[in-house]
Amino acid sequence: MLTYVARRVLYSIPVLLVASFLLFVFVRATFDPTVKLRASRDPQAVQRERERLGLDKPVPEQFVKWLGDFVQGDFGHSERTRESVSTMIVRALGYTVQLIFWGVVVSAIIAIAIGVYSASRQYSKLDYTFTGLAFLGLAMPPFWFGLLAMQLLSSGPKQWFGLSEPIFPTIGLHSPGESGINLDYLRHLVLPVMTLTVQIIASWSRYQRASMLDVMSSDYIRTARAKGVPQRRVVFKHGLRNALIPLVTVMSLDIGAVFGGLIITEKIFSVPGMGRLFFDSLLYGDIITLEAWFVVSALFIILFNLIADVLYGVLDPRVRLA
Amino acid sequence: MRARQITRVVAACAIATVVGAISIFPANAAVRRQGGGGGDIVIGAEQEGDCADWISSCAGSSWQIWIMGQHTMPRTFDFVPKSKTSIVYERNVLLASEPTVEEEGGKTVITYEINPDAVWSDGEPITSHDFFYTWDQIVNGEDIYDPTGYIDIESVDDSDPAVAVVTFSTPYSGWRSLFGGQYGIYPSHILEGQDRNAATVNGYDWSGGPYIADWQKGVSVTLTPNPNWYGDPVKNDSVTFQFLTDTAAEFQAFTSGQVDAIYPQPQPDVIEQIEAGIEGANSYFTPYTPNAEALWINNAAFPFDSVKVRQAFAYSIDRDVVVERLFGGLGITEALNTINPPITAEFADTEAFSKYTLNLKKVKQLMTSDGWEKNADGFWEKDGEQADIVIQSTEGNARRALTEEILQELLGNAGFNLTIENHSAGDLFGQNLPNGDFQVGLYAQVATQLEPGNCSIFCSYNIPTEDNEFSGQNWTRTDLPQIDPLLETVGSSSDSDEVAAANKKADKISAKFLISLPLDPLPNISLWSKDIKGINKKAPDSGVFALFWNLAEWTKS
Repeated sequence: MLTYVARRVLYSIPVLLVASFLLFVFVRATFDPTVKLRASRDPQAVQRERERLGLDKPVPEQFVKWLGDFVQGDFGHSERTRESVSTMIVRALGYTVQLIFWGVVVSAIIAIAIGVYSASRQYSKLDYTFTGLAFLGLAMPPFWFGLLAMQLLSSGPKQWFGLSEPIFPTIGLHSPGESGINLDYLRHLVLPVMTLTVQIIASWSRYQRASMLDVMSSDYIRTARAKGVPQRRVVFKHGLRNALIPLVTVMSLDIGAVFGGLIITEKIFSVPGMGRLFFDSLLYGDIITLEAWFVVSALFIILFNLIADVLYGVLDPRVRLA
Repeated sequence: MRARQITRVVAACAIATVVGAISIFPANAAVRRQGGGGGDIVIGAEQEGDCADWISSCAGSSWQIWIMGQHTMPRTFDFVPKSKTSIVYERNVLLASEPTVEEEGGKTVITYEINPDAVWSDGEPITSHDFFYTWDQIVNGEDIYDPTGYIDIESVDDSDPAVAVVTFSTPYSGWRSLFGGQYGIYPSHILEGQDRNAATVNGYDWSGGPYIADWQKGVSVTLTPNPNWYGDPVKNDSVTFQFLTDTAAEFQAFTSGQVDAIYPQPQPDVIEQIEAGIEGANSYFTPYTPNAEALWINNAAFPFDSVKVRQAFAYSIDRDVVVERLFGGLGITEALNTINPPITAEFADTEAFSKYTLNLKKVKQLMTSDGWEKNADGFWEKDGEQADIVIQSTEGNARRALTEEILQELLGNAGFNLTIENHSAGDLFGQNLPNGDFQVGLYAQVATQLEPGNCSIFCSYNIPTEDNEFSGQNWTRTDLPQIDPLLETVGSSSDSDEVAAANKKADKISAKFLISLPLDPLPNISLWSKDIKGINKKAPDSGVFALFWNLAEWTKS
């Protein structure tokens, strides 16, 4: 196992190098950070900034310098805020990780439960209902769902029932003056996590249902049933473990991808995570932040691909990690 | 399998996860500070600034100054709204008396006597050396946002710590906005000898104002009363500005009572929300603002190098219709008729551009007399060149996009082929406008003081050229030497009557030659809960310091 992981990590290095070079070239070709200084009263301002950022050197030389700093943890300083980019990314990741953690936990529990139930009660009324809801969820634009959830679960109840404050707040992850995990935090989480999970639950529950149906029609399940193994044991011990394998792969890949993809949820609910950092940096053309952001996002995708492969082997003894 | 069993499994997993997570993330006790007993107020902030070094170029966001800078930086004068159409300077408690202004040998000398009770939050007195340090940083520092006014200062005498004597080599009419305004005064005893920008860019824990600010990046700025504040006691316990960058979310937060006040930009969706009605709230909409949104015309670019074409362009647009479409929901329907922002109206000819209303006969007369004829497509053409006009603005701004679409229709009816080409703010203001790569720009000039001052953007010698190393701000390439002396007087005279007379004359000439076309004042919108007291409902908005100029007087019932 360790050899396999080590080899996969080694394989990932050239992938990451090529990806980071392409992203670096793409960002430098798209944005000119000196544009804002063209109107400066100081005629040397543009040239000074080009020299400071190393833009006066060939792109490969710029990349090597940037990469050297990056691997040492020095991501540079933001053009927009003058703050250390590593500090900004760590801070933003803190918020995004919280959303993803809760989103994945909630989605996995609900999606697996729905998938298992739908497969074991195929073509029942509830199976049809879950199927309909899944398609509705997949078709639901997150920004619209988020705003609807705000209206129906936050401002609406407050007005209808004359509450002093909304049950589910819509700003950030804490009320002013609050911190840590407490009731206030959980109340703040409800709406953004709901918005984040609606499409994920829809998608994962369909995977789980299909996978479970596939497994439940296998010969070994039939054998288990013929031997008189109770239905609950057949479903959870023999069926679910095997049916989880494809879902775990999908989940791992999805988690890696959403690290940078929560722009809408984070914007609507004022959560200063990775999505909002990307959005703000893109608007400003903050190349130093964007370069680091892209590479960190790519790192997460590669990491979760690796996790998917490793989990695949753990869950399925037929797969040999060698 | 029974559904009940699934429910049990789900419930067990959920409980285990919550318990597990609570043990992973340690909870911190909520920290609440005590103030004047007037409650904890929460306000929605549409934008988060990039930095808190107010004199640096990274501090261009008005919002960050409204929510942090103006409450922590000592200043010489406040902007105080007296009525719907009057905002005045009032001496800040930092000064013990009104500053004296004397003319000595062609130089203006202003003497500030500092309040002996005025101290920083660490108890150190605020001295004349802080004035000197601030001036020195602005004039000699790197990457300064705008040194206007400060570069006219010859010296700051700090020999007496209680008296700052400021000598201007060139008189500056807006001197009351210096050592205050958007910048304030920096604490020399803390910052001298170190990198000011590095020490302040991400916030600071000192204060010379009524509050101490705590900036949680991306989340909020929380103001708590400064225990060493030397003015009237702060009435509330704390004020938190929460960053709400999405308009719909901002209104949801306000209507659900999560924030007590908002100050949204006049975008179409905001006005729709207001028209739909907001219960339980006070509201104030005003066109009396520091903003002047205009069609800024490049006087050197074809076809606008002809005065007659510029005038015909103006007669092609029904500006009142544009304003009605944009801001009718706020009851604001009249176009701006001066190139100066409304808060400087007493110094402006507010009817200078009023003759430019939709008049297609006049368009035809002006264009034909300039040698233009309409072609088969119905557009004006001269010497084989069609009157094609490109308008540029900031991308992603719904109000400006709507304005452009209305203009496209109006100008098309008059024979001008208008194309829309929007850019990022960086490209537009950093490249296209300074380089003269535009015909018409749609954007706003925002005043930071109560006196007019358009020489930097209209005096002929401020056209970006090699002579001024392309540093001039006259992006419209206005070349009317006759208005130069008038605008110089406006910028330097301390006689308000003389300023008004010169500025009104400049306004008339600007209109005659149609150097640009004012559109609207970009109204300000203030919405606050009825639970908030201390806001003057008749005149809550100070323009330069927005709704938040007297935050220390607000309380929440």
